[in-house]
Amino acid sequence: MGIPIPNSKLGLWLFLGTEIMFFTAFIGAYIVLRIGSPGWPTDPKDTHILVLMGGINTFVLIVSSYFVVVAHEAMAKRDFSRARRYLTYTMGLAFVFLGIKSIEYYGKISHDILPSHIAETPTQAINKVDRELEQVVRQRFAVYTDAEAIDVAQPDDLATVSAQLDVFAKSEGGGDDAKSAIHDVALYRKWQNLHQHIVANVSLEKVPVATGPGYLAAREALSEGESLPALEYAEVKAELARLKSDTNYGGFVSAGVLDPHPVLYGNLFASIYFLMTGFHAIHVIVGMLLFARPLLQGNNLNEEWTDWVENSGLYWHFVDLVWIFLFPLLYIA
Amino acid sequence: MAHDDHSAHHVNYLAVFVALCVFTALSVIFDLVSFSNHAITIVLVLAVAVAKALCVMMFFMHLKFEGNWKYVLLAPTTILAIGLPLALVPDIGVAYYTPLAPQAEWKAEMDSLHDSHGQSAGHSDHTGHVEEQAEVGHSDESGDGADRHEESHEAAPAEKAE
Repeated sequence: MGIPIPNSKLGLWLFLGTEIMFFTAFIGAYIVLRIGSPGWPTDPKDTHILVLMGGINTFVLIVSSYFVVVAHEAMAKRDFSRARRYLTYTMGLAFVFLGIKSIEYYGKISHDILPSHIAETPTQAINKVDRELEQVVRQRFAVYTDAEAIDVAQPDDLATVSAQLDVFAKSEGGGDDAKSAIHDVALYRKWQNLHQHIVANVSLEKVPVATGPGYLAAREALSEGESLPALEYAEVKAELARLKSDTNYGGFVSAGVLDPHPVLYGNLFASIYFLMTGFHAIHVIVGMLLFARPLLQGNNLNEEWTDWVENSGLYWHFVDLVWIFLFPLLYIA
Repeated sequence: MAHDDHSAHHVNYLAVFVALCVFTALSVIFDLVSFSNHAITIVLVLAVAVAKALCVMMFFMHLKFEGNWKYVLLAPTTILAIGLPLALVPDIGVAYYTPLAPQAEWKAEMDSLHDSHGQSAGHSDHTGHVEEQAEVGHSDESGDGADRHEESHEAAPAEKAE
């Protein structure tokens, strides 16, 4: 005789062997990225990592692992109603785990902590503010072009729409639309001014206008090797704060533009965080499907399901095991 | 059947469960206590994680009571799993090349941002430390501490500039 265990259990253990390699590859990649990147983000203000949430989820998985063991023990003792009860508890805890995970994901998404979305330097953060503010202006202008309050040939061209909107705002009988159009044109001009300063890379405060004859004359007047004062990150932050506190369009700016927050290596962090926790969450969902099958038997649960419960239990412990390492690596290290 | 044999081993699962809870509390405590070197925290929480993993594997997964087949099945994957990170050591431990990641240059811009915001004298040696990091490539733990410290100044200037 060969190995003294059921074939299904042998198969499951072999599968777990491949699973160990699967997660080791991720963990190995994470270690290389983490240690090989001086300045890797660890501050929760940068990463939006919630240690408490991760800790609670660790506890949730440990409790659920314990419940699975109890359920399997009950199956072996033919106490099927007790087994069903503990499998249900496990299922409930799996939902709790995914719920807490979604809260964490929601926090990251709402702060735009997503791969390729994060500014890693002050310059990138300034450009991100520029793009997001432009998007806000476009959305505001779309209100008028979509409603056909104004008729423009190129609704994508902000300068044209702005000019038309200006005429519309000052026209008679425009009603409330015309009143709000004044503010949206004002916001457009604020963004345009900021955008021009960013493109020219000149100080918002020390160089009043970054375009037109006055600006060109100022540049002409510079002697060899001299340059106009450069745009500073703090100036853009202050300008954005002013726009957000404006009573007329501040709400739109606050909703559409995040406060600039450059995080060095933030994109790599977001990639590896979502990769590792995402694959782990998929494993949790698979485990829930495995437990759903015996639970669907209802009162017909019998000794034929003992091996199934044992094997899904082994898989569930492995999912717990992975989290036991992901928690310190991602949340604490 | 095989699982009936296992049931003969009376494991006190509740005791294992309590041990796992204590270990989890321990790793949270290690995170809250701020050691002078962040590396100490990392080593401690990873040691706790290994202890927890052993508890789960030995008792919850019954490996303590299984036959010798467990070694046949798990030795290859364990060796490969340990071998993979070790094979990556030349890349991270012995940085024999100059890092070409753009972040190596961006870091200077980030540091100058922090320097212009953080006025305390404690930062004076930071720039030197950055260069040292770029060369060694793996001594970022104390650097993290400094980053953390400086980052706390970051929120303030926005209001000041108003």
